[in-house]
Amino acid sequence: MSTALQYTLKRLGLLLVTMLLVSFLTFLAFELVSGDPARTMLGTEATPQQLTALRHELGLDRPFLLRYLSWLAGFFSGNLGTSYSYRQPVWGLIAGKLELTLWLSLMSFVLIAVISIPLGIFSYRFTGGFANWPRTALNQLCMAVPPFFTGILFSWCFGIVLRVFTPGDFPGLREDFAASLRHLFFGAICLSIPRIAMTVRMLRSTVISEMNKAYVRTAISRGNDRRTVLTRHVLKNSMVSVVTFLGQTLAELVGAGIVVEQVLGIPGLGRFLVTSISHRDYPVVQTIVVILGFWVVLAGTAADLVNQAIDPRLRLSTAELGGAGS
Amino acid sequence: MLEVRDLHVKFNNRDREAVGGISFRIGAGEILGLVGESGSGKTVTAMSIAGLLPRKQCSYSGDILLDGQDLLHADRSLLRKLHGREIGVVFQEPMSAMNPLMRIGEQVGEVLRIHTDLSKAERKEKVLRAMTSVELHDPEHLYDCYPHELSGGMLQRVMIAAAIVIEPSLLLLDEPTTALDVTIQAQILELLKKLNSELGISMLFISHNLNVVRKLCARVAVMQRGLLVETGETDQVFYHPQHPYTRQLIDAIPTRERRVR
Repeated sequence: MSTALQYTLKRLGLLLVTMLLVSFLTFLAFELVSGDPARTMLGTEATPQQLTALRHELGLDRPFLLRYLSWLAGFFSGNLGTSYSYRQPVWGLIAGKLELTLWLSLMSFVLIAVISIPLGIFSYRFTGGFANWPRTALNQLCMAVPPFFTGILFSWCFGIVLRVFTPGDFPGLREDFAASLRHLFFGAICLSIPRIAMTVRMLRSTVISEMNKAYVRTAISRGNDRRTVLTRHVLKNSMVSVVTFLGQTLAELVGAGIVVEQVLGIPGLGRFLVTSISHRDYPVVQTIVVILGFWVVLAGTAADLVNQAIDPRLRLSTAELGGAGS
Repeated sequence: MLEVRDLHVKFNNRDREAVGGISFRIGAGEILGLVGESGSGKTVTAMSIAGLLPRKQCSYSGDILLDGQDLLHADRSLLRKLHGREIGVVFQEPMSAMNPLMRIGEQVGEVLRIHTDLSKAERKEKVLRAMTSVELHDPEHLYDCYPHELSGGMLQRVMIAAAIVIEPSLLLLDEPTTALDVTIQAQILELLKKLNSELGISMLFISHNLNVVRKLCARVAVMQRGLLVETGETDQVFYHPQHPYTRQLIDAIPTRERRVR
């Protein structure tokens, strides 16, 4: 019970540190790059008086650290600030877009997990002989194809020729849920193809290396056949590294979605982030960045928990909390 | 009961035969010691008997008969029936020989799951009985433990329990005590002796340590470079070694005078 508590505290601490660090670095980055939100908002015609007034209104004339701390105080009291460009509360602007990005990421993740694990096992079982090189070639090809390319290809093939969805015209989850999901589904496929290939390859090589371990020989000496050696012994032992990999993938997906959102015209978080950065819309960028940081830690924690459920030795190491990892 | 006749094994990537034509027998209820330095072909011999040779990577000839049934040339499905059921194997490193993610009880009961139709409860009962017979304390608790929670000596007892739970006719012990410290080693030897007399299981005990073999085996076979150089009663071999290599092995045993000097 106390180890569970310790674990939770450790993870929460990690989350807090990550978010603080990430938000501070973003703040710092904007301090260092050129650009002035006041100028962007008022345009090139603005008088110096107007600019100074707006800067004062936005609090941009205060010192850097003070600005950061006041943002931080606002964040923890639930006030995410107001967008410079839209003059609206940040959360209201982000919520709907976050929803789309989460849908896109989760759909890709489910596709990756559901397809790559059986495919990895299949790919292990059918090893050797002349089946080897086409498999490797296909795998390499899938890994090398960037999502934006498949995105363009899908837009043309399924969007323009087959008219399954309308590229650039996203229906909206509230307006037409089914059509929206269909649209997102193609994005999810683009995102998942290279990652499926990577996971398949990784699972296959892990299974191969596990097969050479001593416990496999023991399993055979007890009368297990090839299939039960794989299903009862090797697979579970191979899952730890696959789960870790899938955790990283889940963390990456949100960031990787940016390009696909652009190509397929999905008004998600990624697209909004890019425009907000170019408008120097600090409050929006800060919030998105912290959400992404939160997501990364969350994905890591999820992978960690699943791995602990699989491997009892990892449960032990959380009990030795704070000890140097061995 | 077990008869090995003119066994040859050669790995494809080696020039020399790993086993160059050896013959020996193990009678019912007998413990034969197989001694030799590393690389002498002891383990390859044991793996041939256990049907664990990587068949595609080696060539082999001769006969290995277990109660008249040929093991060396048996097909996979027959081997699977004999694995665990007729031949139990205990390997050198208990920690790596066990599946780290499977509970102790399940690993000990695996042979029963594969070879019998017993219910889960019946299997558990047999497993607990086997764990008691290898003198593991509190088997009920250990049943649900994972390998990393046990010491090396306990794990080796677990491995022995897993091998004898179904009472096979032959137990192959490939350096079962080498990875353990000396006191534990002595306990395991005592245990094996007890199991042999209680259950009447024949054993092939492999070791590089002649002294260990002497404590357990009535007969011993000495192997060097893939060949048997000497076979006989343990005391006979020990006190009147015929082959110079056997004499070297005996001289390698540290004795009291040498330690004092």
